[in-house]
Amino acid sequence: MSSYAIIAEELRKSFNGFEAVRGVSFKVRYGEVYGFLGPNGAGKTTTLSMLTTMIKPSGGRGIVAGYDVVENPVEVRKRIGVVFQDPTVDRDLTAWQNMMIHASIYGIPRSDAEKRARELLEFVELDKFAHKPLRSYSGGMIRRFEIARALLAEPEVVFMDEPTIGLDPQARAKVWEVIQELKRQGVTVFLTTHYMDEADRLCDRIAVIDHGRIIAEGAPDELKSRVGGDTVYLRAIDSDSAKKLLALVSEYGEAKLAADNVTVVLVASNAPSKIPQIISSAERAGVKIVEARYNRPSLDDVFLLLTGRRLRDEEGDWRIWGRLVRSRLGR
Amino acid sequence: MSRELATVDEGLRGSSRVYSPGFSSALLAMAYRQVARFLVARSRMANAVIMPVMWLVFFGLGWSAAFSTLRGVERALFGGLEYLEFLAPGIVIMSVFMAGFGSGLGVIWDREFGYLKEVLVSPAPRQALILGRLVGDSVVALVQGLLMAVLVSLVAGWPGTARFLAALAAAYVAALASSSIGTFIALSMRSPEGFHVVINLIMMPMLFISGAFYPIEPLPEWLKALAYINPLYYAVDLSRGLMYGVHSTPLTLDAIGLLAVSAAFIALVVAKFSKTYLA
Repeated sequence: MSSYAIIAEELRKSFNGFEAVRGVSFKVRYGEVYGFLGPNGAGKTTTLSMLTTMIKPSGGRGIVAGYDVVENPVEVRKRIGVVFQDPTVDRDLTAWQNMMIHASIYGIPRSDAEKRARELLEFVELDKFAHKPLRSYSGGMIRRFEIARALLAEPEVVFMDEPTIGLDPQARAKVWEVIQELKRQGVTVFLTTHYMDEADRLCDRIAVIDHGRIIAEGAPDELKSRVGGDTVYLRAIDSDSAKKLLALVSEYGEAKLAADNVTVVLVASNAPSKIPQIISSAERAGVKIVEARYNRPSLDDVFLLLTGRRLRDEEGDWRIWGRLVRSRLGR
Repeated sequence: MSRELATVDEGLRGSSRVYSPGFSSALLAMAYRQVARFLVARSRMANAVIMPVMWLVFFGLGWSAAFSTLRGVERALFGGLEYLEFLAPGIVIMSVFMAGFGSGLGVIWDREFGYLKEVLVSPAPRQALILGRLVGDSVVALVQGLLMAVLVSLVAGWPGTARFLAALAAAYVAALASSSIGTFIALSMRSPEGFHVVINLIMMPMLFISGAFYPIEPLPEWLKALAYINPLYYAVDLSRGLMYGVHSTPLTLDAIGLLAVSAAFIALVVAKFSKTYLA
């Protein structure tokens, strides 16, 4: 019996010549929350679909809970719970009816099923709505219901595809709470997301996936430390002074001029203590800094470092940064 | 990260049970789902009852009045029955057929609204899942048929309990046949609109040359040939034979034909659904 909940070896999938997943390999330990982080179309859902036996890989191997997803799909299905990206509930029926049907098609004896369904609905705070048709549920409630339902058959691995996509902030927070509680209880979770804050908050380890390949893997902090420190954004008054500023700050760390030609981007450790030093030495040199701001490294910066693109849909535009005005910092 | 993985591993494996779904529990669950869905969707029940009632009232009563002016000739036309008696079994089969055939639409909605995934990702045998659906759909169709049977018996004359129940049994096989035909078509379609087109294209001609509204003996040969490959013809003839003792094909042949069509389409549906992957 394998000691890993999931092993993927060179998994690949092509659709009519398009390579959605181009050979991904990773291992997920029992009790771990493992995240697939990447932009839309990176191959996250396709990988999840292969691991949950919903589509056949074009190549490579997937072992889930000790069974090969192609050779033994039924054994895999017995041991996994899946929350798909789009709802997969019968909206005309109540939560309870959906639960009981799920129990029967997973072979859970009635008395166990009823007891566990009650506990799980309570766990996701839907016990009061158990006998309401799912048509009356909000998006967040349906997602929580689906998580509860995925846990009904006591799966060894829970898969969640973009668990908070399309939810409002409060609903997201509630889903996060549920996943964090699962994490505390040692449930193995494989989730995909394109929200870096979600991956950062929930996952023990993350694989950053882009264009069907894993481009980095590790704990969120490990990945963030690759950026090499805080990112400082300093905006000068014009491009000439920006060039002077660039020369000036190079001693503090790796610096470059942003695409707008007036912002200097500096990667440096301990930005809060360095920014005042930079500002006073710039003033001494007669260079005026209009805006100064820094970011702790985020997974977004990791993605930017690895791909040259931002994770979010918008294009990388240096101008959108810089909210701290001089008056807040300099005086 | 400092968690002792071996302990977690053991703990999880110790605590979590691996359930194995049985064939019958999965089948019953899916059958239950179809019935439960029907019970909450009153409009479906209304829809499936209203059409045959309209046929019975506006078509049946109308022609029945017209034919009754012919006196002796009426019974000669309809194998010794009055027109309403002739029509009654046809109306029952019609309501069962429409309900069963239309239930195929549910397969398309399940794909559209994602429930198909919930079913496909489960460890239950695919055969059980789809058979359960057919059982549920045909039971729902039969319930509608039962309502119609009671209604037409009141209008056309009570055939006796034994005959009534025998006709109902035939109606159930017809329900199973039409559910599997509808489901088979729906399994290869993606859009509900497309299915509605198919319903109108296939269902109406099947109904008209089923012998439900008029006897098929006087028809031209080519139409008659179409009737003989129409499973609905056997269903109507069988139920008319069982209900009022009038039929044009031997009842065993009717029964064999109807069962064969049901078995064939059930087999096709199971084969097709078992191969369903999402991509």
